Parts: sequence; structure tokens; C-alpha cells
Amino acid sequence: MGNIVYDPLISGLNNLLEYLSQHTLTCLIPAFFIAGAIAAFVKKDAILRYFGPDVKKRVSYTVAAVSGTVLAVCSCTILPLFAGIYKKGSGIGPATAFLYSGPAINILAIVYTAQVLGYDLGIARAISAISLSMVVGILMALIFKEHDKKVVNASMNHINNEEPEKPRFIMLVFFSLLVAILLVGASKIGWAAKFSAIYLMTVAVSLILIYHFSRDEVTEWGYETWDLTKKIFPLLIAGTFIVGVIAYYMPPETFRPYLGGNSLVSNFIAAIIGAILYMPTLLEVPIIGTTFGYTSGVMGSGPALSLLLAGPAVSLPNMAVLYRIMGGKKTFAYITIVVAVSTMAGFIYGNLML
Amino acid sequence: MIEIEILGTGCVKCRRMKKHVEEAVKDLGIKAKITEVNDINEIIRRGVMSTPSLIINGELKSHGRMKSPEQIKKMLKEYL
Repeated sequence: MGNIVYDPLISGLNNLLEYLSQHTLTCLIPAFFIAGAIAAFVKKDAILRYFGPDVKKRVSYTVAAVSGTVLAVCSCTILPLFAGIYKKGSGIGPATAFLYSGPAINILAIVYTAQVLGYDLGIARAISAISLSMVVGILMALIFKEHDKKVVNASMNHINNEEPEKPRFIMLVFFSLLVAILLVGASKIGWAAKFSAIYLMTVAVSLILIYHFSRDEVTEWGYETWDLTKKIFPLLIAGTFIVGVIAYYMPPETFRPYLGGNSLVSNFIAAIIGAILYMPTLLEVPIIGTTFGYTSGVMGSGPALSLLLAGPAVSLPNMAVLYRIMGGKKTFAYITIVVAVSTMAGFIYGNLML
Repeated sequence: MIEIEILGTGCVKCRRMKKHVEEAVKDLGIKAKITEVNDINEIIRRGVMSTPSLIINGELKSHGRMKSPEQIKKMLKEYL
């Protein structure tokens, strides 16, 4: 009955179709447009000011913990920012806080997690990432006190943007509309109401674009959105397919002894897997949902959260860059703290959800 | 001779920025030395936290943003 070549491929295709049909149109496409708009229109300079060496540490930590939402859509923004904060800004604490929370709270990650794995886990991921990032940062700052004394006082280069600012409320309306399209698209209202609402909002967005944005700006938005899509989407598609093929050979049941339930050990194993395994952006979601069987009820909610937290914060390629920026000892300490903190978060969440 | 440095960690935007710079230089018909700075430590040493960034003759002209060839031409003209 079973065919060695055919069946695994079908399993991969089915998985891909399932993820595509359920989640792409309604949530990923609007999310990519929002992420593109953030990259193109949000002025980063305003936020960077809070990472200067003279800014109160309390402020820097807070900004570091939450600014990933708008700053961290892609790793090519995260790493230079991290290095800048670490070497010339507010020091090792806020830098590592930013590094930990950034990948977990960017708009694409939150939306995809919430949509596919459920709103409870999506919200838990965002809240834990924000609060724990401060714990990670403060621990690093306490362990490596001597680092911050050496931080160069030289402030960062800043240039005043000569471009005229757009009225604030225009930007507010613009982003609110984009988010509203995303929410309506993902909601469970009837299709007629849904389509007309989305249609009206799309028209409103185009009107704003026509009257308040220049041609260059709109092009840039298009480019940013396309860049992100090109960078993330093919890997996500290929990855989701492979996840399906793997599920054929290793059904989620395989992992039940290790990742089922909410024991401290299974949370710890999940955090370790997250730290070692390299997961391309967003692929952590199908890996947890299908491979480890969160969706089919095999993986506990605690381990799922541990993996979501430790996974994107540490991976082999980013370990290599971290090592070059801050050396072996600090990189090792960072990874250890990330694994420990993520394990605890998963453990607590898992027991709350029981 | 104008020295132009493009700071970027190799992301799509940074590569497009390089293309735009080359286009601007060609259009203006000037001589320029274009260097790409990819090393993250080197980028930070120039006091820049967001890429792609543009340095002309040692002066930071743009950071964290893509610039169109037109905008780059305008910046270059200051140095002619």
C-alpha cells in the first residue's frame, strides 16, 4: 500500500496546502505589507536616541524590550543595532535585551504564531519575550559589570533628516488601516461583510497614498514588502513542505516522551532544541505545530513556548556573529541565560494552562 | 576623486543601494572610489547602527535608509 517515494511527498504537499490555504492570504500577505511599511516609513532615528550612553538605564531597557516590534523585522537590522548598542550605546544589558525580544515580537512573528498556533500562545510569546528580555539584559549587565565601564563615550553619528515630516495622524490612520485589514481578514465574520470591509479599507489606504505620499515613498514601500517576501517566503514554503515530509517518517508521537507534558525536563529539552536548531524566520511555527505536534496535542503548551522563546533568540548563524561581536565568554553566558529563562517561562506557562 | 562608502551587512537593500550609487556616479560622469563595508565591527566603528548607510568623503550622509539615484546625485553634487 505505502509507496516509499510517493507517500512522504504527498505528506509534504498536504502539509504545505494546509498551511497555505489556512493562513497565507488572510494573515501573511497583510502582515508582509505592514512589515514593509514599517521598514519604509518608521523613522528609526527617534528610537535610536534612547540607546545612547547618557540615557537612563531604566529607559533604555524598556525601549530595548519593546522596540523589536518596529525595528526587528529582519536580522540585517537586528545585528547592527545590537552591535551598536553594545559597543557605543547603553551597553551590554539593553543590547542583549533587544537581541532576545526582537525576533519574538516583530509583527510577522506575532501574527503568524497567533493565527496558526492560537491566540493564547501568540500573546504568551509576546508578553514573555518582552518581560524576560529585561531579565536577560539585567543578568548580563550584572555578570559583566566591567564591560560597561569600557564602553566608549563616543556617541553615535546622527544626521538630521532633511525630509519633511508627515503629519502624525496621517501615519496613525495609515497604520491603523493596515492593521484593521489584517484583523478583519483573519476574523471569522461572513465573507460578504469581510470582503466589503476590506475593499473599503483598501480604497482608504490608496487615497492616503495618493494624497499624502510621494511616488518614491510608495515605491520604497513596495520594494521593502517585496524584499521581505522574497527573503522569507521561499524558505517558509520549502520548510513547510519538508516539515510535512519529516512528519511522515517521524510522526509527532515520536517526541511525546520528550516534549509532551509540562515537566521541567521537557521544557528544558525544548529550549535546548530551540537554541541549537536553526529555524528560518517564521518556520518555527510549523515546526512546533506539525513536527513536534503542538497542533495535534502531543507537545505541551509549556515546551512550545520555551521553544518559541529560545529558538529565534539563538541560532547557529547568529551565534557566530555574536561571538565576533562580544567574544566567547559573553556569548556562552547569553546562550545559557536564554535557555534557562526560556525553560522557566515555558514551565510557568505550561502549568498555568493546565 | 570622491570616496564613497556603502555600509551594509549584505542584505538586499544594501546591494540595491550599491547599484543606485553606481548609477548616480555614472550619470554624473565623475570619478569615484566606491567601497562596500560589510564587516559589522567596521560599521559600528563608523558610528552607524542602521544599514544601509552612505558615507561620502568620510562624512555620514544617510543612514538606515535606501536612497534613490536622484537623491544620491544631489548629495554627490555638494562634493564636486
